[in-house]
Amino acid sequence: MISVKHLKKSFGDNEVLKDISIDVNPQEVVVVIGPSGSGKSTFIRCLNMLESINGGHVVIDGKDLTDKKTNINEIRTNVGMVFQHFNLFPHKTILDNITLAPINVRGMNKKEAEEKAMVLLAKVGLAEKASAYPDSLSGGQKQRVAIARALAMEPKVMLFDEPTSALDPEMVGEVLEVMKQLAKDGMTMIVVTHEMGFAREVGDRVVFMDNGYIVEENEPKALFDDPKHERTKAFLSKVL
Amino acid sequence: MDFHFEIVQDYMPFFLKGMALTVGVSLAGVLIGLLLGLLIALGKMSSNQWVRLPFNIYINVFRGTPLLVQLLIIHFGIVPLFMAQSNPVVSLVIGLSLNSAAYIAEIFRAGIQSIDKGQMEAARSLGMTRVQAMKLVILPQAVKRVIPPLGNEFIVLLKESSLGSVLAAPELMYWGQAAAGQYIRVWEPYLTVALIYLVLTLSLTYLMNYIERRMKTDDLR
Ligand SMILES: Nc1ncnc2c1ncn2[C@@H]1O[C@H](COP(=O)(O)OP(=O)(O)OP(=O)(O)O)[C@@H](O)[C@H]1O
Ligand SMILES: [Mg+2]
Repeated sequence: MISVKHLKKSFGDNEVLKDISIDVNPQEVVVVIGPSGSGKSTFIRCLNMLESINGGHVVIDGKDLTDKKTNINEIRTNVGMVFQHFNLFPHKTILDNITLAPINVRGMNKKEAEEKAMVLLAKVGLAEKASAYPDSLSGGQKQRVAIARALAMEPKVMLFDEPTSALDPEMVGEVLEVMKQLAKDGMTMIVVTHEMGFAREVGDRVVFMDNGYIVEENEPKALFDDPKHERTKAFLSKVL
Repeated sequence: MDFHFEIVQDYMPFFLKGMALTVGVSLAGVLIGLLLGLLIALGKMSSNQWVRLPFNIYINVFRGTPLLVQLLIIHFGIVPLFMAQSNPVVSLVIGLSLNSAAYIAEIFRAGIQSIDKGQMEAARSLGMTRVQAMKLVILPQAVKRVIPPLGNEFIVLLKESSLGSVLAAPELMYWGQAAAGQYIRVWEPYLTVALIYLVLTLSLTYLMNYIERRMKTDDLR
């Protein structure tokens, strides 16, 4: 599904991703953990070219993002992204937030897009908020709408960059619940998170990043209970 | 001081005609300036520095030189290259448009850049092109933020249009000077003209405040 080979990314002199290689299989849930500044966000943002790539290759669904001939907008319709700060469109209702891209990018007609949006809203438990504006929603509700918005494009992969980090603790659960359901439905997911419980329960694989490298990756149980590298041990001892 | 109201009375039809022209050229200037300004703002935000360069130069030239100089060059230098009979009203509209475009471009740029960059990222991550993201997500939000400074720009332009008198464009100030010349009087014509400008700008200020209040209540929804 996703194949990353020797991915490199710098901001000026600051080499943030040094040599990242990883393959993600269809329906797999990969959880990325690591200390602040290790390059997790940068990595996940390279997967839909929100950051330009300086070296190596990222192949998604058979298409190489670094190939100049690749239509990046088309790739992005297949790669959903959920941000830490939701980034809902404040001037649009919840329903319009969800239908905006299907109508304007996919060319779907309004009625069909709205019907689909209502199904998605029901799925994330927010059908009654369809005509509300984002400002009137709680953080947890906003993030569930953001997930529905991304799903409306029927992506093949979903990327999550710390989807619960900006939430009050009592709202983390409702968002993780939606993500769990998504994983159960067979969505391919890459999730950057500090929620180790989620990683353990839902992740098929956990990747530990530090200083621009993938230091260690394994099944959740193996990585959490029996980390091989000193840096992984040190990190886990701080967060667990 | 004896104030000769009959001078004001005599000239009132001309003052009113001048006022109409003042409002007209300012409105035309700001409307054309809006269109040009948006294009210049988008050009100046290009990621390519060579594309940015001409827009930067434009903004710097028009903001960095006096409008009076611009008007004189346009009226006596540039317009005659294209029109056999140069018309001061046309020159004035061109000058006001080009000048306000530079200021309006900066207003738009500031408005667009004040929108959280997460908005553009979210739009792009959904597969929208840059143009779609601008049109559907960024500009609708930026519009609300640029309306107050655009109102200010309109007020400034309305006052600056008085420089048209130098080109003999028959706007309000032109008739003020004409009356002053004919009667060799200072107070009557200039005070009247000043008062008319004041009424215009204050009306605009109230209008802007009204629009801003309306938008605020829209926000509360
Ligand atoms: N747009 C940018 N311009 C310059 N430097 C950046 C930019 N984005 C990230 N960096 C730098 O890249 C490094 C990695 O940042 P990144 O956001 O990927 O880390 P992270 O692992 O997601 O951290 P966190 O857990 O705090 O979110 C940091 O040193 C950061 O300062
Ligand atoms: Mg991050």
